[in-house]
Amino acid sequence: MEVFWIVLAAALAVGVPALATAWAQSRIGPAIAASMAEKPELSTTAILMIAIPETMVILGFVVALVILLQGGAAGG
Amino acid sequence: MILTMSKVRLLGPRDRLDDVLRVLQDLGILHLAAPESAGALAPLELSPREARERRQLHRILEDLEHALAELRPPGPPASRGREAGRAGPAEFARWARLAGRVRREAERLAARAAALEEERALILKYRHFFSAFRALLESEARWPNAVAYHVLLRASEADALSKLRTSLRSAIGEEFQLYTQRLPTGEIGVLLVVSSRAAGRVERLLTEARVQEIPVPEQYGGKTLSEAIPRMLARLDELPREEAAVRRERERLAREHGPELVRARAAIHDRLRELEARQLAGATRHAFVLEGWVPRAACGTLRERIARELGDLVIVSELSEEEWESQDAPVVLSNPRLFRPFEALIRPFPLPRYGSIDPTPFVAVFFPAFFGIMVGDVGYGLVLAALALVVRWRSRPESLLRSAAEIAGACAVFTIVAGLLYGEFFGDLGRRWLGLRPLAFNREEALIPFLVLAVSLGLAHVLLGLLLAVASNLRRRPRHAVGSGVAAIMIVAIVFALLAAIEVLPSGFFTPAVIVLLVAFPLLIVAEGVVAPIELLSSVGNILSYARIMALGVASVMLAVVANRMVGALGSAAVGVLFALLFHLVNFGIALFSPTIHALRLHYVEFFGKFYSPGGVRYAPFGHWSRDAAPRPALR
Repeated sequence: MEVFWIVLAAALAVGVPALATAWAQSRIGPAIAASMAEKPELSTTAILMIAIPETMVILGFVVALVILLQGGAAGG
Repeated sequence: MILTMSKVRLLGPRDRLDDVLRVLQDLGILHLAAPESAGALAPLELSPREARERRQLHRILEDLEHALAELRPPGPPASRGREAGRAGPAEFARWARLAGRVRREAERLAARAAALEEERALILKYRHFFSAFRALLESEARWPNAVAYHVLLRASEADALSKLRTSLRSAIGEEFQLYTQRLPTGEIGVLLVVSSRAAGRVERLLTEARVQEIPVPEQYGGKTLSEAIPRMLARLDELPREEAAVRRERERLAREHGPELVRARAAIHDRLRELEARQLAGATRHAFVLEGWVPRAACGTLRERIARELGDLVIVSELSEEEWESQDAPVVLSNPRLFRPFEALIRPFPLPRYGSIDPTPFVAVFFPAFFGIMVGDVGYGLVLAALALVVRWRSRPESLLRSAAEIAGACAVFTIVAGLLYGEFFGDLGRRWLGLRPLAFNREEALIPFLVLAVSLGLAHVLLGLLLAVASNLRRRPRHAVGSGVAAIMIVAIVFALLAAIEVLPSGFFTPAVIVLLVAFPLLIVAEGVVAPIELLSSVGNILSYARIMALGVASVMLAVVANRMVGALGSAAVGVLFALLFHLVNFGIALFSPTIHALRLHYVEFFGKFYSPGGVRYAPFGHWSRDAAPRPALR
């Protein structure tokens, strides 16, 4: 039962930020595509804007790994 | 690094200004700036004759650009041709006539080509209509008391047909026949035949419904489509010959006049630049003053050339640094050959200010290192190296593609080195087949050491950024430099305190680290203001952001391992190998894209945010227009 909660916590740690990242990128993507159509020199800003929300899921992934390792659930 | 500049002043008799400008333009190294007016020294205005000349040159240039755009003479589209040499008024007058004549001729040919193209499109449209109703149209002439209407509807207007039928029925009863056919273009051809008695009402109806009838083109002479279409089809056979004739005429014009027009364009640009440069001179009744910047290393060349061509009539003196503001000085980035491709990664940003720090050398070291640590696979590294070699071989020197290939080459080297440290060759394939062993740690298992490595890299990178901020601001904004230095010390103290708290370091480090923090905190507030604690917290966040190096690295190796396991998991070995290769290909694609984006982000946000000072003036020396696109080896 304990393993279940550890795995659930890890899944939530990466899953919720993944949804948040997806939502943020779904709003940023069209906006930045429209901006770049008019001003191609905004490509650097586009890279930054797309990469910024990814921080959430990346850190969520790290936290999930830490939960699994600390909880001893990694590797089965 | 940013090249050191010298501000120079040229002083000479006013009647030699044109000669000086000629020498400077040929030399092409002086970035001109208007001298400050003082006493009898005033900016030199263009004379009415020169102002008129400038207006005329702009007009000729407009004709030239239009003519060249229409003719597209041989050579790369952006080619500026060779240096034109100095032209006199007679030549400008000849070029004005030539440019006007060629522009008119080129525009006439372009209009003719467009008309032929339009005619072809029109005929094709009729041809489709004619093919659809051929039998009916051929008997059109024999309909004694009937009038035919030819209509094209767009594919999206299909529902308009039933409405048209209903309206016709209510207006003229059954005195009509409606034929429809979908054409290859997707449009719907409609042939409506009505009795001549009802023609007036039908025309009104079509007008009210805003349905446009296909007009029978007058140039083909017929009153009916069946008479006009055979002539149109005959014309369709003639069109390619006429189009080829227009093309040949255009090529002849380009061949005969293209090189002359390209030369004229360069000469006119040069003369316009000379006129602009004159306005940047200051003058008294008898003397002129020109000021500007040259790279310090090229200062001697300027003196020597002026002395050789103009003797001691013109004096070149170097102004001391106290006499000019560093923010006005133009910026030239000059890096060793190995680092130069990485300037492409800085280019999307505004230039760094003169006197600040050029981040190129740091990017050249850290960007491929971060990329390599994230991808870290000997196999992927070798594939990337091969790809980089091919792109480098196919690209032109000094192009963006060449820079990208060279950056990819550096990334490949770091990827291979990191792959050896992790013992990875296409994931765990190296371990299973080649007996490869990790020299440092195995990324599949040692997640915490990998995380520690990533955050430590972040700590080093952010601290380096803060130290660069200290160096960059020491002279211009000493308070900010102190603030950055204190922030760096506090970050180190926080790290020591945390490590001592979790007993990685001896607990004796904890108290001194906390004391350092307590002492440094008020200093930070004094130096940077009340927002400083927030900035400090954001720096700690920046360091943690480097955990993405570990996250992307683990994701990369896990995908590679999953790819390898497909070989045994899908029953058939051949299918398994195919899927494994596909999966590796996808992983390689992700490995090219994602680590690049994130390594860039770590530089642009976390690293540059600490010290980068944009707002530099681009070095634009007064020179020949045709030389602008070429690199300046003398400055490297």
